[in-house]
Amino acid sequence: MREILLYRGCTTPVRLPAYELATMNVLKELGVKAIPMKDVTCCGAQFVESLSPDAFAVIGGRILALAEDEEMDILTLCGACSGSLKITKHNLDNDPGLRRKVNDTLAEEGLKYTGKTRVLHLLQILAQEIGYDEIERHIVRPYNGLKIAAHYGCHVTRPFEIVQVDDPENPTIIDRLAEIAGAEAVDYPGKTRCCGGPMLAMDTTVATKIGQEKIFNVGLVGANVILTACEFCDLQLTQCQFDEAIKPSKRIPVMPITQFLGAAMGIDEERLGFEMNRISPDSVLEALQEGR
Amino acid sequence: MTEKVHVPTSSFAEELAAIPGGEVVNKCIQCGICTASCAVARYTDEYRPRQLIQKILLGEREEVLKSRLPWLCMTCRLCEERCQEGVSPAEVFHAVRILAAREGYVPPEFRRVMDSLLNNGWLLADSYTDFEEEEREDMGLDPDLGWNDKFLKRIKDLLPIAEGEK
Repeated sequence: MREILLYRGCTTPVRLPAYELATMNVLKELGVKAIPMKDVTCCGAQFVESLSPDAFAVIGGRILALAEDEEMDILTLCGACSGSLKITKHNLDNDPGLRRKVNDTLAEEGLKYTGKTRVLHLLQILAQEIGYDEIERHIVRPYNGLKIAAHYGCHVTRPFEIVQVDDPENPTIIDRLAEIAGAEAVDYPGKTRCCGGPMLAMDTTVATKIGQEKIFNVGLVGANVILTACEFCDLQLTQCQFDEAIKPSKRIPVMPITQFLGAAMGIDEERLGFEMNRISPDSVLEALQEGR
Repeated sequence: MTEKVHVPTSSFAEELAAIPGGEVVNKCIQCGICTASCAVARYTDEYRPRQLIQKILLGEREEVLKSRLPWLCMTCRLCEERCQEGVSPAEVFHAVRILAAREGYVPPEFRRVMDSLLNNGWLLADSYTDFEEEEREDMGLDPDLGWNDKFLKRIKDLLPIAEGEK
């Protein structure tokens, strides 16, 4: 079985462990073993990144060098982790001076960055490394009559020149995966707009309004579920619905793409962590058909 | 490169241009597609990326460095994808933040997170209680997350936040 190092990031293991669980189990079914990385730090996104380019480079450089040591690629679940590790890799690969500085610090631990390790976001593993055809072969309980709205996550797809995932203005990977699983992918206004998550650090009211606009737009086109590829987006799009502006009966289930795919692949619900979903996934799971 | 670059209009713009990512500020033609694309601009009265870039081009150094506005960019980069002149407001405000941090202007929200990050090596150490550990165990996930809490302390000197708030 192919192996890849899973960089879980700070948020997923604490706030959305179901995403970690579902991803590991779905990938295992598809022939990829994801091994959680230990002895790492936060990737530095947003906070360290905003304060010091040198600190940001050495923090990301260390994570990349640890993976090089294991001679493995890195899988990321989070848009921010994915973006910051890819940006750091880009900077280190293109700036020999910065790479020297980083390697001077890493040498104290016997580590060295050379650029061998690739950073792949979950959507890349699914669409490029495993491939749509292989995933389709594993769908045993396709959805029927279900409309999905895909939310990609800004840092997953932008800046395209560096992250190299999908199309930044018209992304399609989540939509295609959902269609393979039998659902209908619907377009909605503001599909590539931010969930508002990064604003939580500075202004939660504004963050909530940004998230709720997305929920409103998804509701307009009659989608039954929102599919995500970043725990931060997932949590934010869920949380913003627990607010007096949205009636409980109007809440739209939100779930990571791997939970959604896993159910259609016939993986047990408890191995996908569905009991942890804050908005009941029942209406989505009821659309699964038995046997193909 | 043969492309024409607009003449920098302020020493502040040139100062930012010396920070990687900041150099694009001088390409701005003030069309406003950034503000039109911006989710934050839609829900706040004061955050307008075009206007903030204009202040940089006009050399309003102190006002911009002391302002909270450059810290409100979510770095979603929708404006960057759409800008026809190759300006990335996210990169420009990133350069502003780095310069502001060097001069001691870091919003308290960022400072608080940095304190916890330096102590623990990751962001959610304070939120990871027995309850979450048990939850992970019940799901069959390893409750020991194995974060490294030493490395960030070791490189603390690279971060311009040691002196306390100004």
